[in-house]
This record gives sequence, C-alpha cells and structure tokens, in this order.
Amino acid sequence: MKPIMNSSLVIILSTFLSVILTISTFPLGYFSPDWIFLVIIYWIIAVPNMYSFFVIWFIGIITDVAVGSTLGMNALIYVFLSFIIKKLYKSLRYFTVIQQGIIVLVLMILKITFLLWIDAMLITDMYSVSMYWTTLTSALVWPIIFFSLRHLRRRYNIT
Amino acid sequence: MERIYKKSTKDFYSLIFLLSLSVSIIIVDHKYNQADYLRSFINDIIVYPLYNISSLPRSFVTSFMQEYQDIDKLESEIKKLKAENMSLRIKLQEFDSLKEENERLLAIEKKSLTSSKKQKIAKVLNNSASPTRKIAIIDKGQNDGLYKGQNVIGIDGLIGQIIELNTMSSKIILINDINHNVPGNISRTGEKVIVAGTSGSSDLMVQFTPIDTDIKVGDIVTTSGVAGRFKSNIPIGKVISIEKDPEKKFSDINVKAFENLDNLSDVILIWDYQPSNEANNE
Repeated sequence: MKPIMNSSLVIILSTFLSVILTISTFPLGYFSPDWIFLVIIYWIIAVPNMYSFFVIWFIGIITDVAVGSTLGMNALIYVFLSFIIKKLYKSLRYFTVIQQGIIVLVLMILKITFLLWIDAMLITDMYSVSMYWTTLTSALVWPIIFFSLRHLRRRYNIT
Repeated sequence: MERIYKKSTKDFYSLIFLLSLSVSIIIVDHKYNQADYLRSFINDIIVYPLYNISSLPRSFVTSFMQEYQDIDKLESEIKKLKAENMSLRIKLQEFDSLKEENERLLAIEKKSLTSSKKQKIAKVLNNSASPTRKIAIIDKGQNDGLYKGQNVIGIDGLIGQIIELNTMSSKIILINDINHNVPGNISRTGEKVIVAGTSGSSDLMVQFTPIDTDIKVGDIVTTSGVAGRFKSNIPIGKVISIEKDPEKKFSDINVKAFENLDNLSDVILIWDYQPSNEANNE
C-alpha cells in the first residue's frame, strides 16, 4: 500500500523543513548551505512536473522574507535557475551524485553572482532606465538579422 | 510533438511573467518601500511560526533545566532585580556621559538631557537572522507599540535600531552591520565622527577622520544625535586602536562596542525619542 502523501503536502512539508533548516543554520554565516534551493533542485530533477513555476516563485518570496533580502530577489533567481534545471533534468538524472554536486556548485555560483549583481545595481543607484533601451531595440532588430542572414545562408547553401 | 510544443511555450510564458513580476516587486520594495505589508503578512503567517518551531528544541531544553532546578521563586526575584538594575544602569550610563560632557562644556550652553521615560525589555529570538547582514529578531512588535527607527540599547550601550516591524516580532539592525552608520562624537573632545560597522576584527570603525584629529586610545564614543536617528549621549564604544598611515589623509580608528553584539539576549527599547526625519536611508 502506498503511503498517503499527495504531492502538494510533500511540497509544503519539504519547503517548511528547508526554511526551518535555513533559519537554524544562520549562525554559520557565510557557510550556511542554501537548503531551500537544494530541496527545489532535488524535486525538479526527480519529479519535474511537481512544482509549477508559480510555486517556486512563492517559495522564493518566502526565502526573501526569511533572510531579509529585497523582496523578489531570490524569487527571480529561483524561477530563472529552475527553468534551466527543468530543461536539463533528463541528463541531470543520469549523473552520479558527485556529478550532480558539481552541477549544484555551478548553480550556486550563478545564484550568488546574480544576487550580488542585483544588489550592486540597487545599492549604487548607478543604473538608469535609459541603459536598457538597447535591449528593446536589439529585440526589435532581431527579425531583420534573422531574415537577412537566412536569406544569405540559403543562397550560398551554408549548412 | 504538438503537446510538447504547447507545454514548453506555456513554461516559457510563465517564466517571462514571473521574471517581470519579480523585477517589479524588487523595484517597488527597494525604490518606494511599498512592499512592507506583503513582507510582514508573509512573515506573520509563515516565517514567524517556523521561527518558533526552529527554536523549540532550545527552549524545551532550557525550560526543562529550569524546572529541574526548581528555582522559580528565586528567578522571579532575580528578574525583578534585573529589571531594576537595568533601568538604574541606563540612568547611570547617561550620567557617565553627562559627567564627561560637563568637564568639556562648562561654558557652553547645554541641552538638558532627559532620561528615558518609557522603556521595554525585549528578548532576542535570533541573534543572526541573516547570513550576510547583522540583524537580530526580537519578540516585541507592532502589538507592543514599537515603531520603525526606534533606538535599541543594552545596559552598556547602543545596540541598533528597528528596521522591520511585524505584528509580534521585529528585526533590528545592529550597529556593526557593514552598511550601518551612526553619527557619534568623542566624549573627551566633542569631535564629530561617523561610526560605521566593519567586517574586520573590531566591531566598529570611525571613518573619514582627518589624520591630525585629537583621538586617543581609550576615548569613549557616544551618539551625537546629529542626524536625528539616534538619541544623543548613548555610549557606543571605546577606541581600541588607531592606524595612522601618512600616505592617506584619513586615519583608521577601530572601536570596540560596549555591548557584546554577537551574543545578545535581552535588549531595551526606549520610547522617549522619535526620529525626526522619516526619510529612510539606512
């Protein structure tokens, strides 16, 4: 007989447990592991469809409240990195635990870098919205690049 | 194939939606400080209960010990005496700094320093509530009439100020946080200084003091009340070392806080002083 545990209960319990672990390892300072993210990574690799992105986003908001960072910061990073993990879960699943540990290392480096990056942007107040106009114009110009280069490629049979 | 395509575009759009939602929340929270309601709501219903659960083992052990020793009566007496001692020592620390100030300011008109009218003792639930910043959580909140920016002191000196209020708990930023500055002055000379937190071995550092300023090891630093964030004449710490580098124009002055900021158990909240400017720039 299967134990009666549906997936939403598992999500809630493991999230609560990871938040409790995070809170109780605060005294370790910089050495405290990111329990919440580790739990998310495990569940995405094991059962990719259990978490929806909205749930991950909400867990990120809870993390922000628990650690006292700017609201939305961890949520942003968790959603973004979970998207990457979700795309890679098939290959990650067949890695050994050691190899998965290396992937965790890389993901954490990405996470910390993003965190510091957002923090720096907010604190220095150096960013002005006008810096970001180039993102919009680049996206608008993309179809031109796409069609003209495809035309070129087809014409000269580059494959 | 069709289904996979549909599913991945759905994922993609929810990704885009959530990313832009996060960005807008970051901006709302950071730029306009408008997300406090959401923050304290989530804190009250989810995070605070989890805090209590995570401190259960510890409180269970301590309560067991207390019962075992059967000293309830003694304890209540000690508590009473402690509270009395605390309020006396607050008075005393104010008198101490007053005395030093008196020696310096015999001729100058002096502001009358009223001692704290109302004070409340709070328990520290968690001394390090953030892996990167120096933040402590106390067991008093909005229900006890606390307010943002309220000064938090200990029996020996300044501890910090309240930065986040929830219904039953609140967060205080300690003065040795690396992004926290306190306007202070040197009791002996009246020199105005800025006391900042540091990541180094000493708790605090006095920044941007010209190299020829008259500061000696052992000088006492108190709050000056200049920016209107802190009540004046609360002792902060003692100068423990001065590093003078002739190359630089400023000297590095290390200050040891009177309070043991890494291990707090009880803090005192004082009511007599409301920060005059609510412009938030910690």
